[in-house]
Amino acid sequence: MVVAAVSTACSQGSNGSASITQGRPITVLAASSLQAAFTAAGNAYAAAHPDSTVTFGFDASSGLRAKLEEGAAADLFASADVANAQRLIVDGLAIGPVRPFAGNGLAIVVPRDNPAHIETPADLARPGVRLVSAGDGVPITSYATQLIDDLAGQVGYPPGYAALVAANVVSREDNVAAVVAKVGLGEGDAGIVYGTDAQASSRVKRIPIPAAVKVSVTYAAVVVKSSRQPEAARAFLSFLASSPGQAILARYGFVTP
Amino acid sequence: MRHLRASGLWLVAAIATALLALPVLVLVGRASIEGSLGLTVTSRVVIDALALSLVTSGASLVVTVCIGTPLAYLLARRRFRGSWLVEGFVDLPIVLPPSVAGLALLFAFGRRGAIGPAFEAVGIEIPFTTLAVVVAQTFVSAPLFVRAARAGFRDTNRDLEDAARADGAGEWAVFRSVTVPLANAALAAGLVLAWARALGEFGATIMFAGNLEGRTQTLPLLVYSEFQSIDGLGRSTAAAAVLVLAALAVLVAVRALRWRSLFA
Repeated sequence: MVVAAVSTACSQGSNGSASITQGRPITVLAASSLQAAFTAAGNAYAAAHPDSTVTFGFDASSGLRAKLEEGAAADLFASADVANAQRLIVDGLAIGPVRPFAGNGLAIVVPRDNPAHIETPADLARPGVRLVSAGDGVPITSYATQLIDDLAGQVGYPPGYAALVAANVVSREDNVAAVVAKVGLGEGDAGIVYGTDAQASSRVKRIPIPAAVKVSVTYAAVVVKSSRQPEAARAFLSFLASSPGQAILARYGFVTP
Repeated sequence: MRHLRASGLWLVAAIATALLALPVLVLVGRASIEGSLGLTVTSRVVIDALALSLVTSGASLVVTVCIGTPLAYLLARRRFRGSWLVEGFVDLPIVLPPSVAGLALLFAFGRRGAIGPAFEAVGIEIPFTTLAVVVAQTFVSAPLFVRAARAGFRDTNRDLEDAARADGAGEWAVFRSVTVPLANAALAAGLVLAWARALGEFGATIMFAGNLEGRTQTLPLLVYSEFQSIDGLGRSTAAAAVLVLAALAVLVAVRALRWRSLFA
């Protein structure tokens, strides 16, 4: 995906020299759950700022952070958690402070026809349920772990609930988008994803989570230290935080941080 | 002038060699200096992935030999209607991108796939299981064996087979005692190449079999996953170094087999 973003960047750059576009496009590496919203935000930003274009690379925040640590060129890093963004600052690869710009919720999703008949989160612990999850370090994994731990403390949930759920995991995907895809295809019986993913995919439906359990998700961005246009990166970040930017994010189901 | 051209030739050749050799050398060098190779015997996830890789690539090799040998023999010895089509389908996985193979396997053997539900009806679950890893590896690696075996069977001396038949040997005896020994080097080279391809399988596995430690996370998947996880770079490097060493061993083996077949 990063390669695709880079090649897009190249082609846009060459087109740009013929049109009014003067500035080089900024490259934003962003959490995969931001794909639809950021693509829309990037278009709106480019329309409002004819001299700047934004290109994106989407993947798990942890994977993007690893690529930045290995020297990937980018201007802005938008993570689905604070930890991965903070880590880049600690490693001296990003300029602080960490700026939260959006919030999200969690959703338990199943294929539309719900083959495993999962009606409540308690059903995730039933033996034989195929749960698709994401890899260690991917933000959704820590949020999902928190959700399961919180559910385990609820009335009516069996002892050892968290361990039973963990034992049902059949795959650890690269990023949350792959989790949604595998559940949508019906290969997995259920998955824990972001609320925005559940809203966007027509192939999955959500299972209600008890109101008492609420895990809040914070998206945070940092400017990459090696960026050659930190001002442009900051400008895009400010746009995201502005009311037009927040309106676009809200359209895709994101909330204010 | 000629001197200049010759040195230009050497220079370009040196650049090309460096381009191909440098990344691998740096990887192995880094693995040895940082001591991450030791993780192959101390890190649980690396050991699990190594064991799984050996088991699955071994199983896919057994399947490949069992179903690939008759196919290769038929393609080498019999002319039949539509053989060009069969050869095409045999060659296709070699040139197909692995991610495409993964998606195709999912649509065929997935729970909602064309024949996946039939397997599930008799209690065989494929997606997200170790079996799926073997299926993916066989799909991408069997063609290499079939091609090599087909060439081997085609090139064996038919006169020797006919001589055995004249002495009263049955078809199976001819095949086992004459054809196979004569095609031995080609068969072995095909096996080694197929094994290497199975061991290195990544794209089809991660799409079709998923990625779970101890069940479907083979060495190539571990290289990818650990690279992305916090502080996983050492384990990633260790697994990568093991794969480089395996690849080197394969090259040496293929060389040795070619050498033997030339002078046998």
